[in-house]
Amino acid sequence: MKTIVSFTLALFFLLCSAQATVDDALSFALQAAQPYVKEGFTVREDYWGGDLPAKQPKAIVQQLFKGNEYWFWMGTDVASAKISVHVYDADGKLAEAEYWRNKPHMAAARVVPKVSGSYYLIVEIEKSPMERTHWSLAYGFR
Amino acid sequence: MIKLSSTAATRTNPSLLCSSWRTGVSVLCTAFLTSVCFAQGEPPRSIDVGSLPATVVDEVVVPVPTEVFGVLDKLGSPNWHEVLRPVKTESLGTRTQVALLLGVTIAEGFIAVEAQEPEAVKKIGRQVLSLSKAIGVQKSVISRTSSIIEAADKKDWQTIRLEFDGASKDVKQAMIELKDAELAQLVSLGGWLRGTEALTQVVGKNYSKDGAELLHQPAILDYFQRKLDTLNKHLKETGVVKKIARRLPELHTLIEPAGGVSPQKVEKIHSITAELVKTIFSQD
Repeated sequence: MKTIVSFTLALFFLLCSAQATVDDALSFALQAAQPYVKEGFTVREDYWGGDLPAKQPKAIVQQLFKGNEYWFWMGTDVASAKISVHVYDADGKLAEAEYWRNKPHMAAARVVPKVSGSYYLIVEIEKSPMERTHWSLAYGFR
Repeated sequence: MIKLSSTAATRTNPSLLCSSWRTGVSVLCTAFLTSVCFAQGEPPRSIDVGSLPATVVDEVVVPVPTEVFGVLDKLGSPNWHEVLRPVKTESLGTRTQVALLLGVTIAEGFIAVEAQEPEAVKKIGRQVLSLSKAIGVQKSVISRTSSIIEAADKKDWQTIRLEFDGASKDVKQAMIELKDAELAQLVSLGGWLRGTEALTQVVGKNYSKDGAELLHQPAILDYFQRKLDTLNKHLKETGVVKKIARRLPELHTLIEPAGGVSPQKVEKIHSITAELVKTIFSQD
């Protein structure tokens, strides 16, 4: 019985810890968004997150509308990790107007879509001391 | 967020909207990710999304109506008062219907904001609470609806937009926590149908190619079709779900190709979405 309780508690704390790191990643993504909110960007409350090994990028399909301007903000809880987010259109052409990835915990890309439709967001942990690194991606539009 | 073929590939944060990876759509995109090195300096100018096998995140964040309506506002001055309609939810029906109605009602909230109608916003805020109560997720939206009502008194439209967006996210999250993830998808679907009905009403009234292009949303339609295909049998057999599932492929045809949504197609999309929204309100 004692073993089961100990195991359950250990599992609980492990899960809490994993949760906290993704939430931390999100908090950095939202921190990256702050200056842009002042410029009139509305930040969506829906966002993506998870953990990834280095150099194994993932793709997210996102609907974007011509006439809007978008910023995508990526965050990680690992300060020394290098992360990036890039945006491609449905034909596979790089669609971002600008990007940055030189700040600790954060990276971002801005898109002004030329057409409405599906776009591919490519997120990557470029370098990290961790085997798997938590990340989160938020976006805003105006 | 994600359930890849290997769960180790990317793990889920259950508090986030996104919850699973899927391999179905994957052909579109991601094996190139392992071969194209994003890590070395500048990103590649282009990638081949078609020829390489791939894995993509299955979940799609369904745009809020404001993302679309904002563009319409930039293109002209739509008469949102004409688009806004009273929300009737006296007889609530099944949980399936209530989930769809929740989505429709939240979308109506965004329309009320565009129309800058504080009384309608407050009424819709209360309806959101009442619908949430009907499926046991009211705790998740109490503070949201209070903020909506408070902000409506101050005519703080931006706050109301954010709170409706947050309410949508919170009810879906609460449903997921109650092991009702499938119902959560129906909230998104209901909202998208009402949003599209409103969009086509505005674009149909004053057609422009740019306005019509907003209807080109293949990723969203693919996503809803996949979700309906994988619903449990009980939900799939519901009259309203069957009807929506039957019409979605037709909508998919009408929104293609990009830049090719003619006035006739806009009218047809409007007629289909209006009919489906009507079905959601009916007891079918």
